[in-house]
Amino acid sequence: MPDTYGNNTMMTTRPANNFIGSRAMPELVYNAPETMQDLMDLISTHGPFAKIVAGCTDFIPSIRTGRWRFDPGLNLIDISKIKALNRIENKEDILKIGAGVTLTQILTSPVVRASCPVLTQAVEQMASLQVRNTATMGGNLCMASPAADTAPPLLVSDAWVLIQDAQGSTSVPVVDFFTGPGQSILTPGQVLTHICIPKIKAKESAGFRKIGTRTAVIISIVSAAVKIRMDGDLCETARIAFGSVAPTPVRVAAAEQFLAGKPLEKRVIEKCAGMAADEISPITDLRASAVYRKDVAETLVKRCIMDCLEALT
Amino acid sequence: MKIPLTFVLNHQKTTFEIDPWQTLLEVLRNQGRKTSVHRSCEEGECGACTVLLNNKPVNSCLVLAASVQGASVMTSEGLVKNGRPHPLMKAFTDELGIQCGFCTPGMLMNAYALIQDAGDTVLTDAVIRKALEGNLCRCTGYINIVKSVMVAQKSKLAGEWW
Repeated sequence: MPDTYGNNTMMTTRPANNFIGSRAMPELVYNAPETMQDLMDLISTHGPFAKIVAGCTDFIPSIRTGRWRFDPGLNLIDISKIKALNRIENKEDILKIGAGVTLTQILTSPVVRASCPVLTQAVEQMASLQVRNTATMGGNLCMASPAADTAPPLLVSDAWVLIQDAQGSTSVPVVDFFTGPGQSILTPGQVLTHICIPKIKAKESAGFRKIGTRTAVIISIVSAAVKIRMDGDLCETARIAFGSVAPTPVRVAAAEQFLAGKPLEKRVIEKCAGMAADEISPITDLRASAVYRKDVAETLVKRCIMDCLEALT
Repeated sequence: MKIPLTFVLNHQKTTFEIDPWQTLLEVLRNQGRKTSVHRSCEEGECGACTVLLNNKPVNSCLVLAASVQGASVMTSEGLVKNGRPHPLMKAFTDELGIQCGFCTPGMLMNAYALIQDAGDTVLTDAVIRKALEGNLCRCTGYINIVKSVMVAQKSKLAGEWW
């Protein structure tokens, strides 16, 4: 099964034995390119026998827990030393965030707080200070966890990612990026380089909420993001996205369309939240039951819409 | 194949021969003998292995040693000066922010960065708890730890820190 980096030759599935505990790291060859040119050269040299990493905060635990296994001699390509990928660029209409930008950089960036506050809100609730200091948003997306907390804010912001390969750079909407748990459209030889987010405009507002068993260092049971654009007293357009309720982070189209052209009064918000919960079919796992997830999803949408309205007044 | 790794460890330029698959935690403990850096969950949940990497707290169990080439790393051994405990350490012992001591080195490094970055802003209970969210303590219940950090900041503002 190919992983999110398209690596399908070195990875095996969960080991057959029942060993619980910390596994040894496989023997690695460490590469830290400093320019995009060096990176692309390394990718073309090692191709599918390479693993691209940045913060390593999910890569190392994946090996330690036995979720991933690699044969000795794996070429690791660490993109965190590439300056071109470590910047948040403030363009006219969009924010262009490099794949190597850490969560702390995003959280402390006044530009992100002003132009995409919903992302700041989400990152604030992710992991811990120590993890945020090394983990990257590019990594959060490439791991393609259904519970990735940066995904719902990007989905409601209509963001896209830039993917580089030997042929050049292509842009893909975030909504088309994920294909399954731990899987994305990335193929061998491709690397996610940037995340582009349209800036929030006047009369627009967005909010993010998540529920876990505690507030810090926890995988979301359900996360939700909502973005609305108002036209006078009516909602012009809406975006609603969830994490942890489907094989990938998802948007709920019917609930979004329901809000369009309606006044955001209590009855409408409640109907919309109910529709959003009806559109998802979460699973029961060790973190929560499907029924609970639906309940929480409904409440989170309601609260997110009310957060948006409050921010607009 | 061993590779040379040179970085600043506790204010001193240091070179170790490492395997590229070693984590910073393993290198600090095994090659560097900095045994205050505790190995525990190895998943980034507990914070017992927290060290400062370029003045920012990170979980050393989740950092590949090879990636700190040329960087600066500080462990709680680096707080001690001429055999004297740092005022931050003294605050933790005075205010009973320490019991079994397993989480303490990680707490100290995170608190050190927090207090250094805060400057003259007096740290509140909420700010301290948010900053220490990645450090688990199973003994003290955090109340005394938060108190220790507040007392430590007072000692810094009084100019007692080095």
